[in-house]
Amino acid sequence: MIARKLGSFLLPLLVWSLVSYLPFIWHPKVQVEAPGGVDYFLPGMLVDREEFAQQSADMRQQGLALPTGVPANPIYLPAPHQVAKALYTAFTTEPEQKDAPWLHESLWQSIQIILWGFLLSSAIGVPLGIVCGTYQSVGRLSEPFIEFFRYLPAPAFGALAVAVLGIYDGPKIAIIVIGTFFQQVLIIANTTRKLEATLIEAARTLGTRGVRLITRVVLPGILPDLYRDQRILLGWAWTYLIVAELIGTSSGITFFITQQARYQHFENVYAAMLIIGVIGFGSDLLLGRLGHFLFPWDRTRDRT
Amino acid sequence: MTDHLQQTPEVKERFAQIYEREAILEVQHLGKRYVTAKGETEALRDINFRVHRRELVCVIGPSGCGKSTLIRILAGLESLSSGAVLVDGKPVSGPGRDRGMVFQGYSLFPWLTVKGNVMFGPEMSGHPHNIADGMARQWLELVGLTKFADAYPHELSGGMRQRVAIARALVNEPRILLMDEPFGALDAQTRAKMQSHLLDIWKNLDITILFITHDLDEAIYLADRILVLKAHPGEVQELIEVPVPRPRTPGQSMTAEFRATRAHLESLIHPPEVEAGTPEEAAVLGQSHMIRFTNVTDNVE
Amino acid sequence: MTSRRTPNLMRRWLTQALLPLAAMACSLGAQAAPPLKVGYSDWPGWVAWQVAIDKGWFKEAGVDVKFEWFDYSASMDAFAAGKIDAVTMTNGDALVTGAGGAKSVMIVLTDYSNGNDMIVAKAGIKSVADLKGKKVAVEQGLVEHLLLENALKKVGMKDTDVTLVNAKTNEMPQVLTAKDVVAVGAWQPVSGEAMKAVPGSHPIYTSADEPGLIYDGVAVNPASAKARRADWLKLVKVWDKVVAYIDDPKTQPDAVKIMAARSGITPAEYLPLLKGTKLLSLAAGSKVYVKGEGFTSLYGSTKIVDGFNLKEGVYKAPQNVDSYLDPSFTNAK
Ligand SMILES: Nc1ncnc2c1ncn2[C@@H]1O[C@H](COP(=O)(O)OP(=O)(O)OP(=O)(O)O)[C@@H](O)[C@H]1O
Ligand SMILES: [Mg+2]
Repeated sequence: MIARKLGSFLLPLLVWSLVSYLPFIWHPKVQVEAPGGVDYFLPGMLVDREEFAQQSADMRQQGLALPTGVPANPIYLPAPHQVAKALYTAFTTEPEQKDAPWLHESLWQSIQIILWGFLLSSAIGVPLGIVCGTYQSVGRLSEPFIEFFRYLPAPAFGALAVAVLGIYDGPKIAIIVIGTFFQQVLIIANTTRKLEATLIEAARTLGTRGVRLITRVVLPGILPDLYRDQRILLGWAWTYLIVAELIGTSSGITFFITQQARYQHFENVYAAMLIIGVIGFGSDLLLGRLGHFLFPWDRTRDRT
Repeated sequence: MTDHLQQTPEVKERFAQIYEREAILEVQHLGKRYVTAKGETEALRDINFRVHRRELVCVIGPSGCGKSTLIRILAGLESLSSGAVLVDGKPVSGPGRDRGMVFQGYSLFPWLTVKGNVMFGPEMSGHPHNIADGMARQWLELVGLTKFADAYPHELSGGMRQRVAIARALVNEPRILLMDEPFGALDAQTRAKMQSHLLDIWKNLDITILFITHDLDEAIYLADRILVLKAHPGEVQELIEVPVPRPRTPGQSMTAEFRATRAHLESLIHPPEVEAGTPEEAAVLGQSHMIRFTNVTDNVE
Repeated sequence: MTSRRTPNLMRRWLTQALLPLAAMACSLGAQAAPPLKVGYSDWPGWVAWQVAIDKGWFKEAGVDVKFEWFDYSASMDAFAAGKIDAVTMTNGDALVTGAGGAKSVMIVLTDYSNGNDMIVAKAGIKSVADLKGKKVAVEQGLVEHLLLENALKKVGMKDTDVTLVNAKTNEMPQVLTAKDVVAVGAWQPVSGEAMKAVPGSHPIYTSADEPGLIYDGVAVNPASAKARRADWLKLVKVWDKVVAYIDDPKTQPDAVKIMAARSGITPAEYLPLLKGTKLLSLAAGSKVYVKGEGFTSLYGSTKIVDGFNLKEGVYKAPQNVDSYLDPSFTNAK
């Protein structure tokens, strides 16, 4: 199963490699090696292929030294080995700056933000979602407001979050919570509503009432679906990380990404994106396995 | 041809005995209206009948006549619009452990094992775990599922699931067992086995059964009396005493009194001027203008 | 760097809308804790503080200060919310932040942009005058817009003499590749990337042509400036040491190494960025901290920005420029 999942990565990787290593496929640029007579060429500069040909022709006409260069891809498409190297050095070299965190420390920092945000959101969102889904009256009262709120972009709360929660992890976690919570309530309320009504009725004829209807019937009844929802929502939380970490003091893995992108170090950007992808995908795979183990009665699991 | 009203002295004697027992369930002038966005539906109108202790009553009627509505009101899962439902002389308000219910779709809890499902009721009524466990084992043995105690419902066949559902309802020791087309989804063989199994259980317990079915043979085979409803609105058409003597065996279906009863029911449910209940039925009877999807020359008849 | 001066109008609006809440929150939470908190971000004149941090010069000077690294916009948000005592920003942004409610006083100048901000034009355009009637892209209301206006004024034109295209500063390299756009305004490293993206393009006007167009410094919460004046004075003194260390050819490589590490790039990449920034020692700062007209005076420059901000609708009421500038820290002996 895992092997098949990994297999689906092979094709994109192959395409990436072909585009990177076979110059005749794309390589729309030329990386200048020696500028020759062209006044504005610099070694290492990327120029369009046509521009390079034009300048070479001009130089030949004027009898000046010809520029030399090799075909290259645009700066935003580094080759696989460059990314692999960036990945390796990122983890193995000590940060240049004194007392600066290592990459894995930044990463751990980011993961903690996600986990706290997700936990806090779930602590309120899951019970509220279940109550909204179980009792029509509660759902009708609260859901329109939540529906409205979920359209407000979480990043817009950045300044407010800093004002209330300070400049460190508080506002970042708050952004994750705001980004996750409202979706969570609605999704879980919906999942709860989909529970077969006759299960609740059967439980009632067997003498169940009150809170025990929720704890003994609704909750176990929706648990496998709830677990699946939570997995999807956790992935959601990750997408808010990039916004969250630009609020307050700069920290974590996505700050590393934006910083490196600013200086056009795309191999580092790709490496960091890769790490996030691997962590997100890996943890989801793990949670999926755990789900199989936790819910042996769940028949939809074979499809996931 | 024998009339369904003709009863042998033994059968007469039996009914006299039944009527001597106290009425455990009384339905008086029961009416039910559903109010929906599209308007009002009168599902039940002025239903009156009483069921005696240890009696087995079947309810039949065309689809949509309100059988499920009736049994759900008796179970306390649905409110009534008018009239009253009395169990042991006391009006019903909400579900209670004195009335067990078996649903058509099994409705077993998929997250619990077979034993867990059966233990659910006793645990809800506060029995400690080991007692509930013992009760469940006893009932699983009674329905012959001891071997499957630790299986999950989705690992069982339909017949087995329905036996679990029955055990789950009976372990609570209800006075009345309400069953809504419990064997509707089973194949003929399994169904026949389940019917005799049910009679067995009923014989050995102090339990009163109200059983909904749309299968006339099943009703005759199981019931002391059959409540026939008619549709739109749901009203009592007849309450028939089944003249087939007990103990019942499958072989009795060829007897004169069985066939007379069946003919009578048939005439009630499907009157001669055939008024088909559902479009599907109408199509089968060749009375609807069904679109032909095949070439005219490609005739199968 | 692009992180500097990224606020757009939306962000400003939001900050202002949320400010009453922010003020409420800070009145609850701000009991001036012992260490001074300064927010700084990715601009050479501010990254320079990293030298003092790494060398432990604040401790030597006997001032307890904590520098917090931010994205530029985020640092101003944190200052506006009262979560930090001071922030590094431009004189123009100090006015914008102040108009939103978070007043500040600039106690020390760190630098002025000396070439990092530029108008980059395609090969065919030789000078600012050639822009007449053509399309020029800038991010409206930001410093490059001001720079363009300044450039046009010098050759006797107004910004209506060119067709302005509003675009995000970060996207200027791509904008310049568009056929009908002949020039863009951007700061480093975006301007450098724009020149790489369109071979033959070159700067026709830069902040070096008008030194003092944009001043950068440390803006302090007025209450803190008053209450902890002695501490702030010590911090200002450290600045002189920083400038000396960076400007001295002997120690410059070490300084650049520290600064490059803070920005996450190599020293070789960092050097050109530093060159486009004119660091101001305290003595140089004192010369600018005098009332006057025009860009050579911090007061004059700030007044011009105030006028520009009003005209562009960044805020509605003119700001009292004098209240934002306090020369006494820089001039203290
Ligand atoms: N929740 C409801 N809301 C509105 N109308 C309802 C509802 N439940 C049942 N009805 C209507 O009440 C009538 C009786 O329905 P009911 O399900 O009791 O019939 P039934 O005899 O059990 O039919 P079947 O044999 O097909 O199971 C039908 O006309 C149905 O449309
Ligand atoms: Mg029904």
